[in-house]
Amino acid sequence: MKTKILVIEDDNSISELICMNLEAAGYEACPIMDGKEAEVLLRSGKAEAALALVDVMLPGKDGFALMEDLQEAEIPVIYLTAKVDVISRVHGLKAGAEDYIVKPFEVLELLVRIEKVLERTGRGREILMVKDVAIYLKEHKVTKRGEVIALKPMEYELLVMLAQSKNIAFSREDLLNRLWGTDYVGETRTVDVHIGQLRKKLDFYDTIRTIPKTGYRLEDLE
Amino acid sequence: MKLWMKLSLVMVVTLMAATGVSGAAVIYRTEQYNEEKTLEIYGQQLKSTAYAIAKELQDSPIEEYSERTRYSFFNYLVKKYDPSKYILLEGNQAVCNLTPFEFTGAKDGKWKTEEGNSAIQKNGKQYILVAGRQIPYNKSKNYSLILVQDISPIYEDIRQQAYLYMVIYAGAALFSVLLVFILSKRILKPLKELQQAAEGISRGDLKRRVWVRTRDEAGVLAEAFNGMAERIEGQMTELEYVSEQRRQMLGSLTHELKTPMTSIIGYADTLLHVNLKKENQERALAHIHEECRRLERLSGKLMNLMGMYDNDSVYMEEVSVQELFRKVEDLEKYHLDEKKIVLKTSCEMNSLWADKDLMESLLINLIDNAVKASGEGGSILLEGYGKTISVQDYGIGIPDEEVEKVTEAFYMVDKARSRKSGGSGLGLALCSRIAALHGAELRIQSKLGEGTKVAVVFQSK
Repeated sequence: MKTKILVIEDDNSISELICMNLEAAGYEACPIMDGKEAEVLLRSGKAEAALALVDVMLPGKDGFALMEDLQEAEIPVIYLTAKVDVISRVHGLKAGAEDYIVKPFEVLELLVRIEKVLERTGRGREILMVKDVAIYLKEHKVTKRGEVIALKPMEYELLVMLAQSKNIAFSREDLLNRLWGTDYVGETRTVDVHIGQLRKKLDFYDTIRTIPKTGYRLEDLE
Repeated sequence: MKLWMKLSLVMVVTLMAATGVSGAAVIYRTEQYNEEKTLEIYGQQLKSTAYAIAKELQDSPIEEYSERTRYSFFNYLVKKYDPSKYILLEGNQAVCNLTPFEFTGAKDGKWKTEEGNSAIQKNGKQYILVAGRQIPYNKSKNYSLILVQDISPIYEDIRQQAYLYMVIYAGAALFSVLLVFILSKRILKPLKELQQAAEGISRGDLKRRVWVRTRDEAGVLAEAFNGMAERIEGQMTELEYVSEQRRQMLGSLTHELKTPMTSIIGYADTLLHVNLKKENQERALAHIHEECRRLERLSGKLMNLMGMYDNDSVYMEEVSVQELFRKVEDLEKYHLDEKKIVLKTSCEMNSLWADKDLMESLLINLIDNAVKASGEGGSILLEGYGKTISVQDYGIGIPDEEVEKVTEAFYMVDKARSRKSGGSGLGLALCSRIAALHGAELRIQSKLGEGTKVAVVFQSK
């Protein structure tokens, strides 16, 4: 069962853009085009979503006004908006939003923030599946066709990072900063070494692809 | 130095000089007159005394008297008339001098004139009048009579008068200085008010005015100032309005640019970094294409709108309305057929003084809007009558509170729907600009759910 995310956004192309990326990363996206529609769905109690991405400027009912219904349905919220001014940001967070993303945003940033919010609110995925490999996040266990594979801590972290945003490319710098921290004075070679280990241990030679000029991508299209 | 001080000073100095000079002249003249009068009076006295003494001499045989008797006689004569004043001379020698003055002699013949001779001598603080003449005694021309009189009191009088005058003068001066100060300050008060008002205006208080009370130059200046302030306020308000409009338009423009940009950047980013299924890759490309087209349309309309601010690009000519309608109908045919909408035209106008291309663009924009508002199978009425061309649809209409805003750039009544049908929010802004260039007015009547009528009303020449 995939994690379901509501995408409440009135602009058709942006809505589809987000949905496309969410699906590629392994989520189930549910697009909603206006505020009234969202209200109806939330009040019916059939939303059953783990998270909602909400545009502030919506026809029918604006994003801030939807907050009450979203909280009623116990769905954490990340606001999406073109507004960069501090006041609306504060307003959104005060109202109970988990995070705030300003358009135009990077796909990777959006996915990472979604993952962070899901983890924080205890709605994170417990098992990540990549082809025949299963990652048990609670147990810190990785199995391939039922057999447990022993991974070093940093190898495990790297695998989780790639699997959480699968099909999305990470640059070496991205991975280095996110896993080893910005203080780490290492070379991007470190990343290459760990990737090599993962490929070897999981037989992921084709699954973890090197993207020229960018970095690495864990590919798994159902 | 302040203007009121300068003015007062000039006035005071002039006043003081004028009164001072005239006062001094009057005093000087009085002194002279007094002197002359005194001389005349004493001259008369001397003359009568001289004649009287001459008579006495005539009546007495003085040649027969001894020297002593003669002197006694002379003494007797002088005493008889006024011993304190008169001195009797024989030749150049005083033969009888009972005055308190010493006779120091005289130049030969000075007192031997028949008309008499007089002068005022100054002796210390004393002014002494000395007058003399020959006694008209026909036996001898050797006798003269001299009158000596201390006339200091006359001068004392004048001095006192001058002193009094000075006191009055000083008092009056002091009073007039005060008066001039107060009055000039009062006269120049409007200037002070003007200055304060001007300072207020330069600080940004554009509502500031001067209260005009007088009809003098200051009043006229104040009135002119108020007129100027009025104009400045009007122009500032207008400028603020224009710049506010520009600001809003820029804000809307940024927003309009940002939405397609977000999509384009997002899809491009996704294509570059995300492993997508083939169908999704195609959809992403289609979205990029569509958003770029939207930007292109937007820039085209913007160019039109901007271009119309240069009046050179407008070419006015006699345009046949019938022909114009036919052309527009032709251009819109595809659009109309797509939604199975019927365009009815009725033309009771012959020709119009207008720019053909711009009028076409205006009508196409209006019909496009009507098409968007109408449902499938609806109808649109394009009419020309009198000085009005109108486009009427029977579509969704515009809410009352939004009718006034629809001609603002980037204003869209229903954003989501409008975007879907390819609207940019610039159409009516463009139309109202074109109408304005033709001296025409855009009148919009609309009822929600019943339709909209947009009329272009030209001014009758």
